[in-house]
Amino acid sequence: MTARSSQVLMAEGLARSEQVPAAVEACYDALAVNDAEPFAHCLLAHLLLEGDFYDEAIAEATRAIELDPDCSPAYLALGLAYDRRGGMWDQSVLVWHELAEVVPDLVTAHVQLGEAFGAAQFEEEAIDSWKRALELDPKEARALYNLAIAALKREGMATALPGFRKAGELDPSQDDLFFALLGIRSVPDRVVDPAKVREDRDSRLGAAALAARADDLFVTAELVRMVLDEDPDDADALALAAFTYLKQEAANEAMACALRAVAIKPDLATALYTLGVVYSRRAGLSKHAARVFIAFTKAASQHALAHVLLAESLLGLQRYSQSKKAYRVAIRLDPACVRARFGLAAVHLTEGLHAEADWEVRRAAYYDTRRQGLFWRLYDEYAEGGAS
Amino acid sequence: MSAAEHSSKGVENAIVRQAEFPIGIDLYPLDEERRGWADWYDRDMEPEFSALADARVWLVRIFVSWKYFEPQVGQYDEDAAGRLDAILDMASAHDMKVLVSLFADDRLAEMTDVPWGKRRDPRTDDYLIQREISLAQRVVNRYRAHPVVWGWELANEAFCTGFKSESDLERWTTMLRDAIREVDVERPVLLGVDPETLFRTTGVDARGAIDMNEYAVSHLTAPYRVYAAEGPVTSGPATYLEGFLLRAAARDLPVLVDGVGVQSLDFSLAEEAASIRTSLYSALMNGASGVMVRRYRDLETEKREPYFRDPFEVLVGVADVEGEVKPSLGEIKRFARVAARVDRRRYQPAPERVAVLMPAERYEPLPSLAGLYGPRACLQAYIGAKEAHLPVDVVREGDELGAHHALIIPSAMKLSPGTWSEVAAFVQGGGSVVMSYGGGDTDPAVREIFGIEFLGDHGVRRTVSCRVAQPGVLGELCSFDARLELPHFALLGHGGATIVATDATGSPLLTVNQYGQGKAVYIAAPLERALAQGDPWAAPAAVRDLLRTVYGSVARAAGAGPIVDCDTPEVEVAVFMGEEDDLVIALNHSPEAVTAMLSVERVVASVADARGGIPADVGGKTFGVPLASNGAAALRLSYS
Repeated sequence: MTARSSQVLMAEGLARSEQVPAAVEACYDALAVNDAEPFAHCLLAHLLLEGDFYDEAIAEATRAIELDPDCSPAYLALGLAYDRRGGMWDQSVLVWHELAEVVPDLVTAHVQLGEAFGAAQFEEEAIDSWKRALELDPKEARALYNLAIAALKREGMATALPGFRKAGELDPSQDDLFFALLGIRSVPDRVVDPAKVREDRDSRLGAAALAARADDLFVTAELVRMVLDEDPDDADALALAAFTYLKQEAANEAMACALRAVAIKPDLATALYTLGVVYSRRAGLSKHAARVFIAFTKAASQHALAHVLLAESLLGLQRYSQSKKAYRVAIRLDPACVRARFGLAAVHLTEGLHAEADWEVRRAAYYDTRRQGLFWRLYDEYAEGGAS
Repeated sequence: MSAAEHSSKGVENAIVRQAEFPIGIDLYPLDEERRGWADWYDRDMEPEFSALADARVWLVRIFVSWKYFEPQVGQYDEDAAGRLDAILDMASAHDMKVLVSLFADDRLAEMTDVPWGKRRDPRTDDYLIQREISLAQRVVNRYRAHPVVWGWELANEAFCTGFKSESDLERWTTMLRDAIREVDVERPVLLGVDPETLFRTTGVDARGAIDMNEYAVSHLTAPYRVYAAEGPVTSGPATYLEGFLLRAAARDLPVLVDGVGVQSLDFSLAEEAASIRTSLYSALMNGASGVMVRRYRDLETEKREPYFRDPFEVLVGVADVEGEVKPSLGEIKRFARVAARVDRRRYQPAPERVAVLMPAERYEPLPSLAGLYGPRACLQAYIGAKEAHLPVDVVREGDELGAHHALIIPSAMKLSPGTWSEVAAFVQGGGSVVMSYGGGDTDPAVREIFGIEFLGDHGVRRTVSCRVAQPGVLGELCSFDARLELPHFALLGHGGATIVATDATGSPLLTVNQYGQGKAVYIAAPLERALAQGDPWAAPAAVRDLLRTVYGSVARAAGAGPIVDCDTPEVEVAVFMGEEDDLVIALNHSPEAVTAMLSVERVVASVADARGGIPADVGGKTFGVPLASNGAAALRLSYS
């Protein structure tokens, strides 16, 4: 483990608890004691980057790397600062290349390297980098989105759409949306035992939803069946059944259940969601999907992803201006919605608004990397003497 | 083209050129990266001058190369003078004026890199400064009687970024300026730096040096744009940035808006044109005394592998590398026709009675973050005021406040005791102030002026909640919950102020206090900073509405409201008031087409395009103006 001064440890604690001004001051205190402390410079770079002060972040990260060329979190901060600042793509490429060598299994380094290549108009190299990222993690949605955007630039929307669909299907937040509609925010920490569930409708449905959240689809199916045995027209149970079928790729059954649920309760958000998703996955039903998602956005208007789903269905129908509106609503509701950012970038490209498209891709990258909390992972590894 | 043809063209152009609002462009010595310093203006410039004259460009800036003029100490190259003569003659033949930049760095032509300088700093070395004085006097003396010379620029911003201290910059400026004044007492002298952007880059406060000259300069640099308003250049905060810098640069001097144009090759031709259009109209609407477009021809960069993009901001012009003019030049031509109609002797801009105060903490270095947060928060406040259609100015702590009726102090962490006294006197004397909490402890003056008791900082919040307690007191506010990270939230106790809105738990969010003759409004959270530090392109509409409504309401109550109101926040409106009619310019800051409904207090008889055309009858106080994406309209309003 690399020794850190007490001032650095204090700055670290403050930075982890997001007390940015105090953490910056603590870093300066640490540097007053030892100006050649890479941890302090690296932390400072991270903090300044969090405040979007790119030039200052670049200076600090560069200094940290000068002091220790193995300081992997400083490479991350430096690369991100170059990317967000823009206009320094050559340096950015070098930094991501370096980080990918220092931490070879860091998928994001390859994705970012691809984005830096793309911004510098090196499309082939960019595509290679994203493919490399997908080799490391086939579920890396951002690499897929980037490939879809590249396909859109080269060959048009028809070639790009499957990529967008595939990336969307990998999005775990879509399931989160369904469960948020049911009022379930997190995965339950206890296994649902059907034998212990009270024998009333609400308890069974609630337990079924919790089981579905925990991916225990057998228990879900059993509990839903019990509810439907008592009332075959229970729309909530039908919607949950549709979702369960959907998770098992049984599209016809999912569609039948969802349709029945919507027929009974036309504004039931869970049913509309499931029906829309089923339609969107079936060729030739895009129009139906768009109609269902229009109703769904009314039923779940505060959920960014609802608007994204509508936007994606409209994108498939080549209704770009309507799609743009829906994406914009989604971004207003959740600026960190990576899926909406990439979708909006695609729409901008169809309109010839390249700068706006680049901006959306950059913001998507920003939020995606931030969400992963990579800095602290690399920092801790570096402090332990691991990755370096 | 013959001289007679030039002359007749000049007469034609004179109708649509406005000498009091020069529209200029930079002509750089080199247009190809592969060429060397000795190729200084070694090209046929006739096509450039013809295209510019056709576009009604009135002013060109040319850059003297010290290296080329004085290859050996005290030995001046007559070829250099000859080339400069030829350029001035060509400008004269096209009825154009020339701004001569004496010491400039374009990162390519090595203009100030004299080989005999032995790597000494030309900004501080006494011997080199004496040589610079000699060159400046030689050039000025040669052309002092030449009517084509409009003015002398001592140095451009790239050169000035080499200064390490205010005293060095002021000393250098004084010596060079005095040297020019010994030879030419008529033409304006200017230092081509923007005080805000130069400070951001170097930490050097250039205000003292700028004040020694006849013109100030506002110059949006690429790094400053990234710092203050990163993102697309045709929508959102970036489109207000030049106006903001222009307001901040005005120091009782006329301001030349410099460096108009996009800063990289990332943009389509349409985006370049939209950006230039927005910048030009923004300059005119915010009181500039002229504009200078970034360059005429794109720099042809060497395609060196693996990276052939050049990061320098002087890359993009209004003609491509082949010399083919881009749509941007058409925008300049159309704008010139509008600018020519805004005759400052006949029309006066509406006075700015609202000011955004930039706190002096902006000049604090790290580890204080106030210096970094401050300008961004001020920009957001400026945008909020613009969206409320208020004629708004930007002042700095220490500037005179007397000319204003309403003051916005956005997310300030601290003000000096002297400023608190001034603010107190300002409000007592009938002015209104809106201040938002910036974090940390508050000054005791807050209790006195705003009538609130500061109980502590509640810290970070992820959501802004507003519950309106007193509808109608500060405009038509709405209750809302919006996702926006607030770095601070002041817990306020009662000290006599009226609580207009609270958060979800009942803690005051918005208060108003009558203090003396004026009103003091306090916002318990740094909303402007939160908007700036969040995602300004995806800012919650409800928070923007809140700021806009509060600013607008306070300004109206203080008699500083808009002269022409508008129902579309994204449309900026400027009014130039005449004796018989008014000119109204509307600029759409959005990439979407809109129809803005403008309202005035008097009945408008007719509206006509300011450039001429058939008036359209209105007969009411409200009329619609269709604006294309990033579009602008200049209208002449005649009243009943």
